[in-house]
Amino acid sequence: MRINWKPFVLSLAVLLILFPFVYLVFLSLASEWRFPDVLPSYIGFKNWVTVFGSETGLLQSFFSSLLISLSVAIFSTTSGFLISKAVFYHPKKRTLTLLAYFPYILAPVVFAACLSFFFLKMGLFGNMTGVVVAQFIIAFPYALLFFSSFWNEKVKSYEDLVATLGGNKWQTYTKVLLPLAKGLLLICFFQTFLISWFEYGLTSIIGIGKVQTLTIKVFLFIKETNYYYGALSCCLLIFPPVVLLYFNKRYVFKKLV
Amino acid sequence: MFLEVQHIVKSFGAEKVVKDLSFSLQAKQTLSILGKSGCGKTTMLKTIGGLISPDSGKILLNGVDITETKPEKRNIVYLYQEDLLFPHLNAFENIAFGLRIKKIPEGLIKEKVQHMLHSLELEGQADKMPTQLSGGQRQRVSFGRAISTNPSLLLLDEPFGSLDTGTRQRMQELFKKLTEEFDITSLFVTHDLKEAVLMGNQIGFMQDGVLKVYEDKKDFIQDPQTGVQSEIEFWGGLK
Repeated sequence: MRINWKPFVLSLAVLLILFPFVYLVFLSLASEWRFPDVLPSYIGFKNWVTVFGSETGLLQSFFSSLLISLSVAIFSTTSGFLISKAVFYHPKKRTLTLLAYFPYILAPVVFAACLSFFFLKMGLFGNMTGVVVAQFIIAFPYALLFFSSFWNEKVKSYEDLVATLGGNKWQTYTKVLLPLAKGLLLICFFQTFLISWFEYGLTSIIGIGKVQTLTIKVFLFIKETNYYYGALSCCLLIFPPVVLLYFNKRYVFKKLV
Repeated sequence: MFLEVQHIVKSFGAEKVVKDLSFSLQAKQTLSILGKSGCGKTTMLKTIGGLISPDSGKILLNGVDITETKPEKRNIVYLYQEDLLFPHLNAFENIAFGLRIKKIPEGLIKEKVQHMLHSLELEGQADKMPTQLSGGQRQRVSFGRAISTNPSLLLLDEPFGSLDTGTRQRMQELFKKLTEEFDITSLFVTHDLKEAVLMGNQIGFMQDGVLKVYEDKKDFIQDPQTGVQSEIEFWGGLK
């Protein structure tokens, strides 16, 4: 009899994918787990209670990160959509598109070092606005390049058609362009949110330790070798992207396929 | 005259696409324009529709100079070869689109769209999405969307170009019926000789950016440039 290995291989693959996440949750519930103990001496919600009691400022970092990432995602998606249209109709479209790749030529830390002088002059160093602006500089070109595939001759024809049917610019956007681009807008929002959410190099330099996003906090805990808080902050770090991924899968990808 | 086009010139870079375009058209008439691809037909239509600005010349509609008027204020609808139905709206909402933009009361919209669906022989298709309609049905919805706004002038850019022969013939008949029912004034651009003869009250021939409008169909048929004579010879030779 021939054994069908497929279910076993699939199960193993699922286990391997899920293991780091399960282990992360387990680690966040543990404390005082020392070699050669097989299990930690404490398993419970002590770490979580401490965190939610804001003793370590982790919850504050979570909300700061959420605010920063939502701002970056909203601004970059909106401006990326609008400006990519202007770029598409511009006679120097190719040059402008090429320029959009510029922030990705340099490593984020080097890029931040280049920008730091200007941020210092504008009073954007070490505050949340500065971090939002810095991350926007990274996320906006992404959105611009992302939407460049949306604009084409057919969309131009739709715009012209609405105009001849008596529609103004606002009506063209609200009644045709935005409904047409709805799926792409949601995906771009998701992607730019993730770019901002996991950003470290630029945030650490522009934020100079005063703006502590969750990603910065995770690195701090890891540096301090506080694995339990590190695991806990990783859980918090993963939670919003998982929620977004769920909504994307349920409401966006299904419609696009 | 209802539509007067006077000495329109349009160039793209060094290339002069429309050269000294002048013609006029009476209300409730259709001028069909025959021309090969790249002869400047689309540029001419887009200029009249306000989607392209002319380099020089004037366009008068019902005696009013509309050369500088924005396309949304002209009440001239431009119909593409592609039906360009909005994929997120069903057939009813596609036809109602222009009416909703003009903020017509809901009751009147329903009444007008239902009447239009009947005229277009699309009863029972109102709730269907564009992907659920056939090529001919989609083109009919596209017509309905254009006509329902009661445009002063309809510009048709090879509207049946993507349809098969049978559907094309039915659409030609339907268009003739609709122009009479809704008193439509239109410019009908095509590269199909038979269609040009069938659809227009007047016929024009466009070549290298120059439009020649014929006094009557006989002049058009006799002009060797239009290709009618060679067609007649071809079909006659088969006897």
